Amino acid sequence: MLFADTVVPDPAVHKPKVMAIMVAVGFVLFSLMGLNDTIFGEFMRPVIGEPKESGLFGNLATGLVISIIFTINVVLIGFLPFRAQVFVVWIELLALFLAFFYSFGLDFTFIRSKVWFMISQGVFTTLYISAISIILASIVAIFGAVAKLSSNGFANAIATFYTSFFRGLPLLMQVYLIYLGLPQLGYVIDAVPAGILALTLCYGAYMTEIFRAGIQSINKGQWEASRAMGFKFGLTMRRIILPQAMPLIIPPTGNQFIAMLKDSSLVSVIGVWELMFLARTLGNKDFKHMEMLITAAMIYWCLTMVLEVIQSRIERHYRTVSH
Amino acid sequence: MKLSRRIFTLATTAVLALSTSVAFAGEALDRVMAAGSLKVATDANWAPQSFINDDNKMDGFDVDVAREVAKRLGVEVEFVTPSWDIITAGRWNGRWDLSIGSMTPTKSRAKVLSFPAVYYYTPASVAVHKDSPYKTLAELNGAKIGASTASTFELYLQHDLTIDAEGVPAFEYQLTTDQRKSYKDGTAAMDDLRLGDGVRINAMVGSLPAIQAGIKSNYPLRVLGDPVFYEPLALAIDKGDTEFNDKLAGIVGDMKSDGTLTALSIKWYGIDYTISN
Amino acid sequence: MSEPIIQMIGVNKWYGDFKALTDIDFTVNKGDKIVVCGPSGSGKSTMIRTLNWLEAHQEGKIIVNGHEMHAKMKNVDAVRMDVGMVFQHFNLFPHMTVLENLKAGPMWVRGVKEDAAHKTAMKFLDRVRIPEQADKYPGQLSGGQQQRVAIARSLCMQPKVMLFDEPTSALDPEMVAEVLDTMIELANDGMTMVCVTHEMGFAKAVADRVVFMDEGKIIEENDPHSFFDNPQNPRTQNFLSQILQH
Repeated sequence: MLFADTVVPDPAVHKPKVMAIMVAVGFVLFSLMGLNDTIFGEFMRPVIGEPKESGLFGNLATGLVISIIFTINVVLIGFLPFRAQVFVVWIELLALFLAFFYSFGLDFTFIRSKVWFMISQGVFTTLYISAISIILASIVAIFGAVAKLSSNGFANAIATFYTSFFRGLPLLMQVYLIYLGLPQLGYVIDAVPAGILALTLCYGAYMTEIFRAGIQSINKGQWEASRAMGFKFGLTMRRIILPQAMPLIIPPTGNQFIAMLKDSSLVSVIGVWELMFLARTLGNKDFKHMEMLITAAMIYWCLTMVLEVIQSRIERHYRTVSH
Repeated sequence: MKLSRRIFTLATTAVLALSTSVAFAGEALDRVMAAGSLKVATDANWAPQSFINDDNKMDGFDVDVAREVAKRLGVEVEFVTPSWDIITAGRWNGRWDLSIGSMTPTKSRAKVLSFPAVYYYTPASVAVHKDSPYKTLAELNGAKIGASTASTFELYLQHDLTIDAEGVPAFEYQLTTDQRKSYKDGTAAMDDLRLGDGVRINAMVGSLPAIQAGIKSNYPLRVLGDPVFYEPLALAIDKGDTEFNDKLAGIVGDMKSDGTLTALSIKWYGIDYTISN
Repeated sequence: MSEPIIQMIGVNKWYGDFKALTDIDFTVNKGDKIVVCGPSGSGKSTMIRTLNWLEAHQEGKIIVNGHEMHAKMKNVDAVRMDVGMVFQHFNLFPHMTVLENLKAGPMWVRGVKEDAAHKTAMKFLDRVRIPEQADKYPGQLSGGQQQRVAIARSLCMQPKVMLFDEPTSALDPEMVAEVLDTMIELANDGMTMVCVTHEMGFAKAVADRVVFMDEGKIIEENDPHSFFDNPQNPRTQNFLSQILQH
């Protein structure tokens, strides 16, 4: 939360002017949407008659009722304490979202028949590709960061060239370059290693900056104390600096992992059967791509939510350790 | 200094040896026979030719043809699913041995790939939205027309299609438009067309069997006019292995003459597409 | 009898255009306890930091334990192991317990076995009188305790000479005494020491010599009795009158 003031003003939504504006804007918007041929129209049947024939009047009436319900809902939520507010708004948004997907008329039997394969094959592949890549990227990043901070011109040039190049190209292009380009040099690599290599190099370049910042954040007194005791560079880095930089490095690395989980979908172009690939292909025969895309979207979302919970725990853990 | 130069020379030689090794005659066939397995590249997004079936396995006409080819070679079959543009780009470097992916042997593709045999022909047709007013192809001139990218259908729209295979009837360009739209695959074009006439596109060019499969799955589309061209569809291999080429040509010839291909065509399309007319 | 362990001969040092040290001649013999004082910015910290070459000098010679310190030297780590250093801000390793801080040096660079390192560590923790804090992290200790751990950490390396760079300036006043007591005990045990400090009581109690620096030069060097009672240079007189006034 932002730094809260000690003086608490009334919630904006409890001001009559704001309420009136909400009703008015809602009325216009909901009327324009023409909701009388939806489930809302059905509820309005006693007032507007047959929804399909109610025309402009039906739309206006439905719009007014919905905007009033909406405003009352908002005003009521305004009375709740903070946590309850968050909870209720979350639930309402989620319900709206599900209703939105439900309105597509999806074939749930089909989804049920495919979802297990999407998880066992797709999620598994997505996760292991991302996990291997993030580990390799961290190793690349350590070397990148040390090279970038080094006073050796070669190391510095190579590291800055590397980060500049891989941060400057779209990841999809890197996937293609590695998959199609490396064989021209005589190294034929399969789709999965090519994907891992591309993700590693790209994320390694971004994470080089994270590691660099982490290493630089350590007080120079730590270097002096180590040096005064006769520790060499590698020892100081390994045992003194990196362990202290980890609390600063791990939380953003977790964020990178969550981002990578989604970016790993790009390796589907080279034929890796991960989640995105399956989302695009499983529904193909029966023309059920919408089903598969939405299922995959939900799976991605759930995955990232789980990972975000883990991430916030990691962050909390390191926050308590470092202070 | 001397040592490092020597290492450099060694490394360069190794790289050159590896990169040229692809071109040796008989190499692909030897590799297949030695491994006892034929790696076939095919699109997983191209029902009913090739797709992932209810058991989550590769299935379809192309897949059945590939299984039969492997059987006659006396080896196992294995499928890989790189995207279409990667398959057609050639230079596979031994990642896979063969493409059985309903590929049209165009002149530009022949620069990087060899086509051992044409195994069937599909009519390419134009589809429009069910509720659209079009009655003839000529009415679509200047309209927004979609096709999958790097496909013969797109080349047809670009008036740049040269088909160089036996038994293909001549065709002429019946559509002229500047407003072409490229799609990842044919299904994506159908998905845009189903939204309504002109919402995103007015028409699409695609393979007739695929369009018909879509219509069967309640896509609000209809086929407009007769097929615009027949595309011969061939097996493709990387350039340079004539033995493999001849072997595959022989196998497909046998499959044609003993009726295997016809049977597979009728199984998947209900029509014998192995002859063009 | 007088066996030099550190020698500075005609040392000059610049930070860019700023001249930090000018013509420093300075010798530390085995067993010497030397206090270096002077106004802030006088170069006293810079001087003590050139002794184990945390800072480089540009002209003159610095010889430590028989090795000349210069940019191309091969065995700088070996020389540094023999020179203990205590910093103003302690610079303990915060991710390691007190005991681990003490064992790290001997085990990692001296090649001492864990058992022996543990024994040595506990011995010196006893000596700085905080054995009960062995398993705590530095962040859980008071400033005075941390500085005593830092002293013990240096001692664990069995140094031939100890450098103290303003060891009490970052401490709350009530903690200064406990650190000074530790240092006095160390001096009484015969440790060779060079201390940059403003604690004149400490200087009077243990120093063999007091060095006064100003503007990067050594202005006056004398035994404490003469230094405090009979300063020769007007700048020394001025400095002493300022810090002894209150």
